Parts: sequence; C-alpha cells; structure tokens
Amino acid sequence: MDILELAIHQLKTVIDPELGINVVDLGLIYRLQIQDGQIDVLMTLTTPGCPLHDSIAGGVKRALEQIDGIHDVRVQLTWNPPWTPERMSEEALRQLGYFA
Amino acid sequence: MFPARTGTETDIRLPFSFIIFAVLAFAASQLVLLAAVPAMSGGAFRLPLVWAAAHLALLGFALMAAMGAMYQLVPVAFLTPIWSERLGFWQFAITALGIVTVAASLALAPNETFLPSLLLLFGIVLFVWQMAMTLKQQKNKTIMTLFVATSLLFLLLTGAAGALLAFHFFAATGANSHETVFGLHVLFGLCGWFTLLIMGFSYKMAPMFSLAHGFSMRPARYVYALYTSGIAVGLISLFLPGQTWLAVGSSLLAAGFALFAWHIYAILQKRMKKALDRPFRFSLSAIVIGLGLHVAAFAAIVIGSGRLLGIIVYLFIVGWIVFSIIGYLFKIVPFLWWTHRYSEKVGQENVPTLKQMMNERLITVQCLLFAVALVLAAAALLFTNTTLFAAFQTLFAGLSILFAGTILAVLRK
Repeated sequence: MDILELAIHQLKTVIDPELGINVVDLGLIYRLQIQDGQIDVLMTLTTPGCPLHDSIAGGVKRALEQIDGIHDVRVQLTWNPPWTPERMSEEALRQLGYFA
Repeated sequence: MFPARTGTETDIRLPFSFIIFAVLAFAASQLVLLAAVPAMSGGAFRLPLVWAAAHLALLGFALMAAMGAMYQLVPVAFLTPIWSERLGFWQFAITALGIVTVAASLALAPNETFLPSLLLLFGIVLFVWQMAMTLKQQKNKTIMTLFVATSLLFLLLTGAAGALLAFHFFAATGANSHETVFGLHVLFGLCGWFTLLIMGFSYKMAPMFSLAHGFSMRPARYVYALYTSGIAVGLISLFLPGQTWLAVGSSLLAAGFALFAWHIYAILQKRMKKALDRPFRFSLSAIVIGLGLHVAAFAAIVIGSGRLLGIIVYLFIVGWIVFSIIGYLFKIVPFLWWTHRYSEKVGQENVPTLKQMMNERLITVQCLLFAVALVLAAAALLFTNTTLFAAFQTLFAGLSILFAGTILAVLRK
C-alpha cells in the first residue's frame, strides 16, 4: 500500500457522527497532497456552520498524523466550491437510504 | 462530571446547566399538576398549584431549554462566539432563582409574586442583552438572524407583560386592563417568542438533519412577514372591541404558519438522507400539530368560543412548543455530550455515532406515548372528562420523568 492509499485508508476512519459516513465517501476531501513527509488537505463540510466543524477537521489531522513518516499535516477548510450531494460515493448514498 | 475546559474548547457546562435544570423542572411541573388533579376534577383550573405548575413548565422547562439550546446553537448557526460566557453563568443563576421563586410564590402566596417576577425579568434582560451582543458580531446577517432577533424582542415584552400582571396582583390594581395584558403576555410568549424562535432554528436544523441541498430560502421572508403581521394585528385587536381584528390577526398567523410548514416540507423534498431520525420526525410532527392548532384557533375566534380557544392554547403549548423542544433536545443533548467526550478522539480510535448515544427504541416509545397523551388531553378538555384528564396527567407526569431520565442517561455515555 503506497502512502496515498494509506492516507485515504486513514481518512476513511474519520466518520461524520451525525450521518455515520466517512469523510471520503461523503466527498468532503477536495485535495490531498503528500510531499516530503508533509500532507496538505483541502476539505469542506456538508454545510457552513456545521456544528461538527472542529471534530471532523481535527479528526482528519489526527488520522493522518498516525501514518509513519508523516511529520506535518495541514488541514485547510474551504466553502468554495460548496459541497454538493453529487460528491458523495454510491456507498454513501446507499447508507443514507437514497436508493430505498 | 464536567472537567475543566482547555484551550478553545466550548464550555458545555453553560448549555448543560440550562438543559439539566429544564428537564428536572419539566418533571417537577408535571408532578405538581398531578397533585392538583383532585382539585381540578371540580372543574376549577385557576388554582395556585396549577399556576405554579404552568409557570414551572413554561419557564422552568420551555424557556430554560430554549435558552440552553441557544447558548449551543447561536454560535453554530451564526458562526459567532457567545459574547460573554461568564455573564451566561450569572444569567443562568439569576433566571433559575427567578423561576423557582415565581413558581413558589404562585403556589403559596400569589399576591407576592411581583418581586420574584422582577428577578426573573432581570434574568431575561441579561439573556436578551447577551444574545443581542452575540448576534451583533455576526458578519453576514441572514433571515434566520431576523427570526431569532425578533423572537428575543418578544421574549423581553413577554417578561415585561408578565411582571405587569404580577404587579396587578401585588397592588390589587389594573382590573380594567388585566385581560388585555394577559392577552399580550400569551400572544408575545407563544407566537412572538417561542414560535418565531423554533421557526428560525428549524431553518438551520431541518436541512442539517436531513442533508437537504439546493432549496430556496426565499419563502422564509414571506413566512416572517405574514407571521409578524399576524402578531401585530393580534396586538392591536386586544385594544379594540369585538373579535373582527383578532380573527384577521389569527388568519395571518395561520397563513404564515402554513407557509412555514410548506417551506419545511419543500426543504425536506430536497433531502439526501431518506430515513430521518425519530427525534427529528417528532419535531416535524409538532409542525403539523402547530398548523392544525393555528387553523383551529382561527375557527374558534370566528365562532366566538372562548372555551375552545383556551383548550387550543393549552394544546398549542404541549403539542407545538413542548413537543418541538423535546424532539430537538433528543438531538442536541447527545451532540453536546459527544463533542465533550469524543471530539478529540476522532481519527485516533473508534467513537460512537450520535445515534448510538441514546436508546432509539426507548425514544420511539416515548414519542408515541407523548402523542397518545396529547390525544388524551384533547379529548379530556373537549368533553370535560375529568377521568380522562387524570389519565392524561398521570401518563404525562410519568413520561416527563422518563424523558428527564433519558436525557440525563446520555451523560453516562
């Protein structure tokens, strides 16, 4: 497993506690750059003023910091472009009961 | 129970102080009402114990729960920190003392309620000041800001009208204006404060809990215009003879509420989360109840039935205001406690979801029983059946204790 796969695997452990779906399947991660032991994450949340703002962004940082060889994780939140439901994976839609 | 906060962590002791007081006051109010049932079976409802219980429920539970929820939701919904948390704790202590002394005075010496009511009014003034200063810091004001700011203004007016009523008893004066001031107290409190507040926060919570996107917020402006016009016309009607203007005011209130209900329905049509949580569905069912009661109130005014209007006001308090607050507390309390206990553990270890913080089956049973209780209350009041009313009150008192236990049990998770 290369470091990018490892990072995505780690991000999938960060679950939105309201929806019960991880941040990757929710489509919250806009960009993931890994270089020289440093990871830069550009991400969003499903709504501005999400009460889980600190929990989820902090969770992303802590999850990635656990990867061997990573010494710096920078998480940046953006509302531009805003999150849209089209960003969700099929698995996320299934969990939300969208196909029921 | 609450370790000292660190860094920028939210001080959850503030909203929790209000919420714990609220659920305990709810249970206490229903037990007091249960004790008053034998006296009420004679058909008398204007009794000191009933006054005390009603204020313990509306102030101790509904007002304090709303204040606690606002200390949590305002920073979240309006992206601005609480102006002064220190003031918040003082405000809690003063308001709590005010409510306890008002309820005790009403039960033991109704004519001595004026001074406690001033203490309570002071607590309300501090709260409104706190929230006004907090909302002032918001960068981009929205229609939700307008709903919440207007509701705060009405909270102040409700408190002032309540203190004036207490002064009437205290000074044995104001006989001519007493009914008008009482009408203002009810209109401002139920429609101006609670309803506008619940509407405002529903616009934040409905899309959030249902993951709705791509809806228009434009109808909210018309909801606001219609509903506040209804309150204004209702206010004027209380100073005019006859029922015509009161009917016009109540029709505007019903129209505004109907538009609000439709708007929430339209928002939910755009949702991604198809299976909604039980507590949220309970809050949504309160909107349907509220709509039915707005229409019923208009009909009662048109046919000139003061008795029916009194019953509708009671059912409005339980079915719309109390049920909305119960539904949202089932969502807010687990979130608050989860944030406190697990927020820093996300990304490091498995943490429970918010749904796992409460026993969903127990909540489902409670929601169903609350609905049964409301039907019992409606039947008991409509048919003036004291046995049914005793059954309702026994069930409701039991449910209030179960509800308090369910909320407090979250703190063990």
